[in-house]
Amino acid sequence: MDILSWDGTLSSGDFRLAACAFMQKWKSVMSAFPPWSWVPCPKQPWGASASHDVEGYLSLENIILRSIEEEHDEISCPQKEETSCSEKEELIDIATLVQSNCSKVPYYDLHIIYSASYRVPVLFFRAYYSDGEPLGFNAIEKDLPAHSAKALLDSKWTFITQEEHPYLNRPWFKLHPCGTSEWMKLLFHVDVSVAKNGVTIELYLLSWLSVVGQVVGLRIPLEMLNQP
Amino acid sequence: MAAHDSEGSILVFAQFQSKVDEGFWHRLSSLKLNKLGIDDSPIPITGFYAPWSHPQVPNNLTLLAQSLPTELSEQSSTAATSHGNRNRCPVQGTLYNMNTIESFHALDKKNLLKEEAKKIWDDMHTGKAVEDSALLSRFLLISFADLKNWTFHYWFAFPALVLDPPATLVDLRRASEYFSLEEAESVSAACNEWRNSSFTAEVPFFLVSIDPNSQATVKHLKDWETCQSDGHKLLFGFYDPCHLPNNPGWPLRNFLALICVRWSLKSVRFLCYRENRGFADLGLSLVGEALITVSQGWREHQCLPNAVGWEHNKGRQVSRCINLAKSMDPTRLAISAADLNLKLMRWRALPSLNLDALSSIKCLLLGAGTLGCQVARMLLAWGVRKITLLDNGRVAMSNPLRQSLYTLDDCLNGGEFKATAAVKSLTRIFPAVDAEGIVMAIPMPGHPVPNHEEDSVLEDCRRLHDLIDSHDAVFLLTDTRESRWLPTLLCANTNKITITAALGFDSFLVMRHGAGPFSSNHDFRAEAANALSAIGNVARIDSDGRQRLGCYFCNDVIAPIDSTANRTLDQQCTVTRPGLAPIASALAVELLVGILHHPQGIFADGEVANSSSNGSSEQPLGILPHQIRGSLSQFSQMMLVGHSSNSCTACSSTVVSEYQERGMEFIIQAINHPTYLEDLTGLTELMKSASSFNLDWDNETDLEEDDDCVQV
Repeated sequence: MDILSWDGTLSSGDFRLAACAFMQKWKSVMSAFPPWSWVPCPKQPWGASASHDVEGYLSLENIILRSIEEEHDEISCPQKEETSCSEKEELIDIATLVQSNCSKVPYYDLHIIYSASYRVPVLFFRAYYSDGEPLGFNAIEKDLPAHSAKALLDSKWTFITQEEHPYLNRPWFKLHPCGTSEWMKLLFHVDVSVAKNGVTIELYLLSWLSVVGQVVGLRIPLEMLNQP
Repeated sequence: MAAHDSEGSILVFAQFQSKVDEGFWHRLSSLKLNKLGIDDSPIPITGFYAPWSHPQVPNNLTLLAQSLPTELSEQSSTAATSHGNRNRCPVQGTLYNMNTIESFHALDKKNLLKEEAKKIWDDMHTGKAVEDSALLSRFLLISFADLKNWTFHYWFAFPALVLDPPATLVDLRRASEYFSLEEAESVSAACNEWRNSSFTAEVPFFLVSIDPNSQATVKHLKDWETCQSDGHKLLFGFYDPCHLPNNPGWPLRNFLALICVRWSLKSVRFLCYRENRGFADLGLSLVGEALITVSQGWREHQCLPNAVGWEHNKGRQVSRCINLAKSMDPTRLAISAADLNLKLMRWRALPSLNLDALSSIKCLLLGAGTLGCQVARMLLAWGVRKITLLDNGRVAMSNPLRQSLYTLDDCLNGGEFKATAAVKSLTRIFPAVDAEGIVMAIPMPGHPVPNHEEDSVLEDCRRLHDLIDSHDAVFLLTDTRESRWLPTLLCANTNKITITAALGFDSFLVMRHGAGPFSSNHDFRAEAANALSAIGNVARIDSDGRQRLGCYFCNDVIAPIDSTANRTLDQQCTVTRPGLAPIASALAVELLVGILHHPQGIFADGEVANSSSNGSSEQPLGILPHQIRGSLSQFSQMMLVGHSSNSCTACSSTVVSEYQERGMEFIIQAINHPTYLEDLTGLTELMKSASSFNLDWDNETDLEEDDDCVQV
């Protein structure tokens, strides 16, 4: 594909191709993480909604993005009316290990969903603690590694909105796609190997995720971006 | 507890930890609203867990949306267990969802736990637990879903039969240290096979049999008799969700109880099976030996042992509570979506957009008709939250077509008051709006007040004064000229942002009033200057040397009177082309937004085009006109600038100071005697002298032929 005329977008068929290539590459290089999986979705019977030929999305769920040793603010859970067992109701059991530390480790679910109207992939994400309690956006922001991710959030390329997940009908956070094609084009312009070999679809998602992943603090090492 | 004690120490288990995915609560709410109603009978649910595989954090017993029976299913009496996979081993559970917080607190937890434990106990004795070993990890969940506040109170229990006396631990170490190298390899392979086969991946309890050649096979529990007779080394394996190096996970408790009950073993060698990245990891897995020393009587079926298992919450035995309003409350979602929309606009197109100013401004709309309805909607779209509508009329049958907040229902039974109906409608559109409706008529000059009504009219005047005082921007959207007089005066008196929209048949006027006569950018210097200014018809100049922009009445040469004979704008029986009101309303709101973003606000000069003669740098929202006159017959708009008139019957310093001195007495006088205003402002004199000298009116205050006008 000619880099000069390329507009930074990709077709839904290309997305599927890119997704397959991406999943493979990820397994080999990002072995610390579980693999991405493709979640097929039934076509909506009432016609075109999120996509036409792309019948699914990439999913990576239940991952921890930050190392546990990092300090976590003890977010106090509001002590509302609690019901409790008085001692005579339940015997004190010496065989039960009582763990009092409330390790508030956030888990992340990441979905990569193709947007037919913008013709780019969109990152949907949400975070929750180990007991399932969801994190609001402020908490996610606090959870991010201090440096460049914050800058990314404030930049003109990224904007996080809360929107209905197109398949799950619940609000998820998403990185607004309207800047994506612009910076994807820039990204590929800058990459020397691309200038030589042209834009390859297989690299699209990797390059894209190397930028948007930073929004949730997911860092992709450089060697993943090199051609094999 | 110590790992390598050779003397038995009590075997201490790490409790199961629960995780409830948001989707579960969404589904439960929907089930409650659509199907269950107040039915609080127990609901079969499915939990999911898997062997530990995360670094440093245990795997939880998880509830997902699919843990609940589907709403359409006929098999609502049995939990659907077919949603598992190797990372989601299904486990049966029971949900007691209560209808009130009181009944939630009042549940007999001891008894519920006992009942659930009994099910497990029975399954052990009948052999069902051997066939379907996941039954050993049955669990219990009590909950209360507060669907008004979107708060969910809940508490898990993982019933475990208590061995009496408790089991003691003889030995506990890493599996890789226990097995020989060959054995370890074989055990890993066998376990991986077990985990990869769809028939066995979800079976959380199993036997590991190792033959003398160090070859391991993994078998179902029901094959115990055969394994026993083989005489091979035998371990009891189970998926261990726990991550701790010195404690086995909770499922082992009931496993030991089962082994004791079924097979009367006294010494049990167990394997806590744990994984890493989806593969068996014997470095993380544990192998231990437990001694069971219960009495014969303990094992009798009819003697149900004690049970424990209510989940600890941060070390205490209390219930948990989670609030999901942010993601479930439709009003919250609407608010956040509206906010995001505006933020998106700011991000993509208008970085200087002042969203705080928009969300905090208080707007008063005088008139809830065609203009009022449209202006209100536009304000909502811009993020304005505080809107007050004033109108004394009722919704008539013809109104809903042109007045976009009303429907047929508002017309029935004589018609609702417009102000009330408008507020209801706005709240339906956006629940977070702070809308208020005032049913009141605006006192008008030219409509004299009979004596017996004078008090109520005075009351209305005062009320209008207070309303204008307590808002930041006032829209004059009534359908007569004279009804705009008093509000204009009151706004000029308090220097409020005032925007007028008026409709003719196919033309409209949208304008912003200038600042009041006793105000300036520099505090009160103008007042002094004005007090000394010359008598005459020079337009008022403030201390900055600039002219005040005019109001709706500044161009008038006659005072506002009963306008039914007037053929220009604001006829009592207003017949207008339908397209006019939306256009004019939209422009009125955009004009307000422009004022809010202009550094000089109400004092900003009127601009007619982006000409360099302006001098000031371009504002991001564009120019800020004074008056926009539009014609639908030409599909054109014209921008004009009009300066304040010394003889204005509404905003001149003469009139405003009279009001300040005499208050309501002045108002009543003006209402009952319209020529009074003309006399006061000198208009009468002006007309007399004009007619006697045949002056050319065009040179006076009208600026139609000025350079200031530009046809757009």
